[in-house]
Amino acid sequence: MQSVHSELPSRQTAATSSSMTNKIDHSQLCQWLKSIAVDRDKQAFTGVFKFFAPKIQRIAQSKLNNEALAAEVLQDTMSNVWRKAHLFDDSKGAATTWVYTIMRNVTFDLLRKMKANKEDNLSDDIWPIAEALNTEDESFTDHIQSRNLLGVIETLPENQQQVVKGFYFMEMSQEQLAVHLNLPLGTIKSRLRLALGKLKLKLGDHHD
Amino acid sequence: MIKHHPKFSLLQSFVDGDLPASLAAGIAIHAEMCPLCQQKVTQLTEQVAEASFEESFDAEFIVDDADTKAAELDFDDIIGQITASDDVEPMKAASVERSVSFKGTQYVLPNALRNMSLGKTAQIGKLSRARILLDEGGIHTNLLHIGAGGSIPEHTHKGFELTLLLAGTFADEQGEYVQGDFIMLDKRHQHQPATEQGCLCYTVANDALHFTQGINKLLNPIGSFIY
Repeated sequence: MQSVHSELPSRQTAATSSSMTNKIDHSQLCQWLKSIAVDRDKQAFTGVFKFFAPKIQRIAQSKLNNEALAAEVLQDTMSNVWRKAHLFDDSKGAATTWVYTIMRNVTFDLLRKMKANKEDNLSDDIWPIAEALNTEDESFTDHIQSRNLLGVIETLPENQQQVVKGFYFMEMSQEQLAVHLNLPLGTIKSRLRLALGKLKLKLGDHHD
Repeated sequence: MIKHHPKFSLLQSFVDGDLPASLAAGIAIHAEMCPLCQQKVTQLTEQVAEASFEESFDAEFIVDDADTKAAELDFDDIIGQITASDDVEPMKAASVERSVSFKGTQYVLPNALRNMSLGKTAQIGKLSRARILLDEGGIHTNLLHIGAGGSIPEHTHKGFELTLLLAGTFADEQGEYVQGDFIMLDKRHQHQPATEQGCLCYTVANDALHFTQGINKLLNPIGSFIY
């Protein structure tokens, strides 16, 4: 997905570079996020974690004034980074902006849970994570991407196809798929892993 | 043309995540319709993010005093826990639109509101109101529909009142308002909005409206209704 998006002109580029300082190694951060997205690279995640964690912990501590909650913000923010790294698009903004958005949203939902006793997790509607997404361009490229991808997915064994399509196109969770297909969760997970391995092989060449 | 925008300090608090959900959603809705404010929000977010994660920030704040230090956490342990999970966030498909209906007209809700719970719609004359159930204590949030030819009698506010025009137009002593206008009034203001074609507003207020003119004082229950 990255390769197509990065060719789109970015409205932010100018603003981004003007507000950048040399103190943060932005290209290193982007590199790490990409490695997490593509290879589930734990070393890269460790790099990202060690850069952000002490700062997130300190910011959350000063905002929430509570050690346990600050630790929760840290944990939630960083596991979002791990799970969502493939949604980060460096043509849309800096890695720091992306992580900041996740941290701010996690903190907001947590505070709301405490103050209003509501677990409605509104933050991603108020501050969409990929903030500057141009929806028209987005759906267009996604559509083409999906079509190419669909062709490749259809070369997979039927039982793997089901899981991949359910998970990526119908947005079902692994748990929902397990119920829906009446299979153990472990089977869903291993089929998905196998399928993704094969897809990566087939798509790998032109998607890096 | 949108003429009324949130003031800068409000945008700043929005980016910091310090506003209640009601007002934060109001700014998000406005920014979605107003490229100017959207750009400000984007730039502010970049700047705040950059400042938050700068190395120099680290150096300034590292002190040996145990009291001011955040809790000691075992980072390797947390990294291990997080990376043990294989779960990946699925790509988001186009979001599902949510609409509401007032007096037979369908309105698509802005994205910021699509997961908020709505109360039942109540009506008095040309006014229809659906509460947005955010449980923010004294702050009340509503979708307020004023039917064609309707108006709200002249009133003041004891606290603040945000009116964000989602659809249609209305006018008061200050002039005409269009879709996307972000109108923040406080108790110094008096106004009497009226609409020719009908309109839908997102409103946030922290106190009941107060009607000021003669016979309209009898309408003060409507103040509580709208609030």
